[in-house]
Amino acid sequence: MRFVYKAARKRKKSGSDHPSARDLQPENPQHPLSADLNENRSILESIYADCMDVVIRDFLIAGETKALLVYIDGLSNIDLIDQHVLAPLMQASSKPGDTDAMVQTKVTVSERKGLTTFAELIEQVAKGNPVLIVDGQVRAFAFGLAKWDKRGVEEPVAESVIRGPREGFTETLSVNTSLIRRKLKSPALKIKSIQVGRYTRTSVAIAYVEGIAQPALVEEVTKRIQRIDIDGVLESGYIEEMIQDYPFSPFPQLLTTERPDAATGALLEGRVVILMDGTPFSLIAPATLFSLLQSPEDYYERFMIGTFVRWLRYLFFLFALTAPSIYVAILTFHQEMIPTALLLSVAQSREEIPFPALVEAFLMEVTFEALREAGVRLPKQVGAAVSIVGALVIGQAATAAGLVSSPMVMVVAITGIASFMIPRYTAGIALRILRFPMILLAGMLGLLGLMLGVILIVVHLSTIRSFGVPYLSPLAPMKGRDMKDVLFRAPLWALNTRPRLTGDSNLYRQAPGQKPGPAKGDEHG
Amino acid sequence: MIERGKISAFQMAFLMYPTIIATAIISVPTIMASHAGQDLWLSPIWASLLGILMVVTAYRLNKMFPKMSLIEYSCLIIGRVPAKIVGFLFFFMYAHDNGFVLRQYGEFLIDSFLPETPIIVVIGSMVMVCAFAVRGGVEVLARCAQLFVPVMLLFLVLINALLLPELDPSHMFPVLEKGLGASLMGSVPAQGWFVEFIDIAFLLPFLTDREQGLKWGIYSVFAVMLTMIAISFVALFLFGTMIDSFNYPVLTATRYVSLADFVQHVEALLMAVWVLGAFVKIAVFYYVLVLIASQWLNLSDARPIVFPLGFLLLPLSIWVAPNLQEMSAFFSTSAFFYIVSIKGVIPVLLLVIAYVRFRFGKKRGDKG
Amino acid sequence: MKVSYPRTTYRIALLCLPLFLLSGCWDRTEVNDLALIMAAGIDKKSESSIELSVQIFIPKASGGGGGVGGGMGNGGGGGGEQTLVRSQEGVTIADAMAKLQAKIPRKIFWGHGEVFIIGEKLARDGIREHADFLMRNPETRERADLFVCRGQAKAALELIPPLERSSAEVLREMAITQIGIKTTVKDLAQMLSGDSGAAAVPWVEILPPKSKKKEKQTIPYITGTALFKEDKMVGKMDAQTTKGLLWVRDEVKLATVTVRPEEAEGFVSARMLRSKTGFIPKIGEDGWKLTVKIETTNEIVQNTTRLSMLNPEHVKEIEKEAEEEIEHYVRIALLRGQKKLHTDVFGFADAFRRKYPKQWNKEKGRWDEIFPEIEVEVEAKVRIIRPGMSSEGAVRPEDEVRKK
Repeated sequence: MRFVYKAARKRKKSGSDHPSARDLQPENPQHPLSADLNENRSILESIYADCMDVVIRDFLIAGETKALLVYIDGLSNIDLIDQHVLAPLMQASSKPGDTDAMVQTKVTVSERKGLTTFAELIEQVAKGNPVLIVDGQVRAFAFGLAKWDKRGVEEPVAESVIRGPREGFTETLSVNTSLIRRKLKSPALKIKSIQVGRYTRTSVAIAYVEGIAQPALVEEVTKRIQRIDIDGVLESGYIEEMIQDYPFSPFPQLLTTERPDAATGALLEGRVVILMDGTPFSLIAPATLFSLLQSPEDYYERFMIGTFVRWLRYLFFLFALTAPSIYVAILTFHQEMIPTALLLSVAQSREEIPFPALVEAFLMEVTFEALREAGVRLPKQVGAAVSIVGALVIGQAATAAGLVSSPMVMVVAITGIASFMIPRYTAGIALRILRFPMILLAGMLGLLGLMLGVILIVVHLSTIRSFGVPYLSPLAPMKGRDMKDVLFRAPLWALNTRPRLTGDSNLYRQAPGQKPGPAKGDEHG
Repeated sequence: MIERGKISAFQMAFLMYPTIIATAIISVPTIMASHAGQDLWLSPIWASLLGILMVVTAYRLNKMFPKMSLIEYSCLIIGRVPAKIVGFLFFFMYAHDNGFVLRQYGEFLIDSFLPETPIIVVIGSMVMVCAFAVRGGVEVLARCAQLFVPVMLLFLVLINALLLPELDPSHMFPVLEKGLGASLMGSVPAQGWFVEFIDIAFLLPFLTDREQGLKWGIYSVFAVMLTMIAISFVALFLFGTMIDSFNYPVLTATRYVSLADFVQHVEALLMAVWVLGAFVKIAVFYYVLVLIASQWLNLSDARPIVFPLGFLLLPLSIWVAPNLQEMSAFFSTSAFFYIVSIKGVIPVLLLVIAYVRFRFGKKRGDKG
Repeated sequence: MKVSYPRTTYRIALLCLPLFLLSGCWDRTEVNDLALIMAAGIDKKSESSIELSVQIFIPKASGGGGGVGGGMGNGGGGGGEQTLVRSQEGVTIADAMAKLQAKIPRKIFWGHGEVFIIGEKLARDGIREHADFLMRNPETRERADLFVCRGQAKAALELIPPLERSSAEVLREMAITQIGIKTTVKDLAQMLSGDSGAAAVPWVEILPPKSKKKEKQTIPYITGTALFKEDKMVGKMDAQTTKGLLWVRDEVKLATVTVRPEEAEGFVSARMLRSKTGFIPKIGEDGWKLTVKIETTNEIVQNTTRLSMLNPEHVKEIEKEAEEEIEHYVRIALLRGQKKLHTDVFGFADAFRRKYPKQWNKEKGRWDEIFPEIEVEVEAKVRIIRPGMSSEGAVRPEDEVRKK
């Protein structure tokens, strides 16, 4: 029997209606394994036709019962298969009465799973677990002997800290869940798994802490992920785009992190972490604007430093959005605002510039964005060259040639630095896009245009929600208690309550009154 | 249900504050000073009494008919046909008033900052921005207000702090040179602003904590009053009796700010921050207008009429007055009676009628 | 009816965007297209017209120098300087400005005009209508400094100061140090509309150039105060008298009083740290009276006598001398302002109005007659709180210092 997915393909060609995900999957229907090894074998061969990496190995158990071992070359640990599966079974001397018992007694592998359908079999094989089928049995066994070359746990590249753990998520889901589990040992940490992607069958794990996370939130996240029906999920960005609330917003409505500590912190705040096989980036839901501006290191340094850095970030967040437009607005509309001495020197430097300030700002910003993008894409060795060329071309030559004025170069540079200050890369991208309409507005109506742009952005931000949580909370709507972790970074002994996301079950995160101080009563003269 | 959003009483106060103060801040000291002279700072105190009356009226009415706005319960109080007339009056009033506010906004910006920009662009862009906010509903408005009001206040305080060395408190004396009457006269135009507190009659139905509504309503009246007094003082101490010769004394005061010769001429910043307040004011008026229209017409969804009403407001704002002089003449003379008669007298009458009609039917434990 | 909003709104927004671009940018002006006015001078040209002269910044990269001489029209010219001066006759300032615009390729921008100079002739004719322009035009600064100049204001603008960027900046810096009086446009408007109807504006003269050759290379400087009654200049005070005026107006920022103690040879100079002036007006049976109370705190900065400044007796002595000195200054100022020019630049009118509002309202019209007759008493109180950095005669052998 040729397998079902051919039929499905045919239906797709006829193209009258959208085939459902299930139809397209080759392992459907829940075709049971046959007792006849030869039939199983031919089905397997048809399933894995032209799959050169699939190994189907015949052998005899104890020299008489025919058996079959299926695994994918490179996904399974061949040494261990030889040692613990093939060797004991083939060298077994006693006559097997029951293969079940045989496997029970001879195969020295800790993880073992019985299978009855091809669907299960295919899933196990794809995971790298070798599957054993024995003649005359309708039950096959999968052994947990998966092993593939994977990247070790390394320092996260996109979110580096000075003080804090150096480990980051990897592309392997089990490693990632283990990293979280190592930090959060309570059994209240629940990790649910969902397969997403018609072809990729990617494992997606939803982690939350029972009793802290709102059940409704967990349910909503699960529901939204289950609803995804696409052919493949290659990065968590796919999931993010499929489950966010406002697809037309430039602002990210889920946090991404590749830091297990950040993920654990989010779990303890009652958020849900979505991990995915194949990418080190996990998603955190719900997200608010302010959570985008927080870095795990805020909590590792002294609270005053954390507070100071946060304010610096808020300031430069605004700067990254508005600096070029403020420059354009003031320079072309409100010259009287510039101190006389400064205006005179700006006037001198702009005297030879052929472009209006608006065009100049646009040109420079576009160039800067291009340079940045080029710098990211290019191989590391060439990247340095780009930055040299960029610095020389923009900074020196362009000013020397009188194409751009040096104040403009400064503004662009400050804007660039400001956008690098945002700890979450995705939020920075939103600002980079919004900067251009802002420059345009500022060039048309001056500070008024700039303010209208800001108002529009704020209106948008106050409209959107992420999984039921207003994006601007706790500032608007104002939740006084949650301000302690937004306007300041309150000292840990004062961070008594969890942020109120959608409800407040399990509000208190620690015992009150833990403010440390010098020991009392044991002063020695 | 036309509006699904919910706000807290605290947020309502944040909405009301800029709704009153935004336009008051730029011109009210001049108008008050023209009657009250150096006693202008007393005028807001008298005027705020009307604000408190409006808040109490709106609150009492809301207590009798929770979850209903003025348009809806007027139907129950005075019957269908009169209620429709009242509804139309309110619709017309709010449209007209919003036209005035937009015009004031446009005139102020064009007069002081963008003399060559067509007024239709300045007003139109604001209407468009407001339309987006109004479509977002009362929640979005409240959140915006919550973000903008602190920024506005901070900036105002900063400006005034920078002006401190220039202030001369002796301009205040002699107090009551012309007696109490002058400051009472000065309070009349200011009451035109305070009567707008009736807006909360349209916001109260959306409160999550309605019993706090009165408290926060009164707080916002006090906040407005204190701000007006503070501004009056600064303008008075800076310009003395010259205030009434400036169209926009606060703006002129801001132009006078100078810090170490570096920070100066920050009036463009004042404008930028003021635009935030103006936005909230216009958006709230616009929102109430949309609410009145949709309740008056018994619509199930208010959102489809947001943009059409915006297009109505645009020509209205041009039509309300031929020029700035006419408009400020109107505001310092007849506007008070016009606005108060509809926004003030009608709700109070409604409350009285409601008391008379429902006193026996519904026993509420208050003895007025 | 269901309207799919995102689509319609985005379409509307998209339609509006090019509209914005089409209409261009109304109020946008590039800095390159502005003629930055640093200062303006107003002179009387004929009976019915004035001449407006503006000093415009030349935004050539500094160091480039030269090459700007040609076609300078009237005024300015020469190489190297950073400003040029253009003049235009007109009926009012606004009229002259409109005509002046035709002579300048860039848009006139008042936003940085921080100095206004009024020629003496015009000042004597009345300045009210010109002050109106300065207050009403949204571009001009209320904080701009105002000066009255001997001769032509234009001449002061055309000077090329060796140290500062322009003559306007020289005046501005001088006004800031507050050795003389400092009057901004707002102050003038306030004084003109106030009860006293008098105003004081710094009086500027041109420092004689060092050599005949470089006739223009000099600066204007403040030498006294021009007094305005109503809006006409009625006279001026010299630098010494201005000192007294500053004491009365409580505007002294920098003052050093040098006295000569009776007991010893030499001088003692005390620098003022703080000072406060108050008026105590009194309307009694015998007419209007006013006491000027000046309280200052000082420290000693120079002592050329043999007196030890640590001795309280000596310090008291010096305080008394200093008080007399200050009272003396004030008296000359009063003599000139009150008795000679009959101009209430001291602000007595406000003091009376505040204390006696009723009488004031009755007698307001007669202020011109009352003012010169007011009996003014001056009470100065000087306190020396520190002997300076060195305790006794720092540059004197110890035995020469008289301690007792």
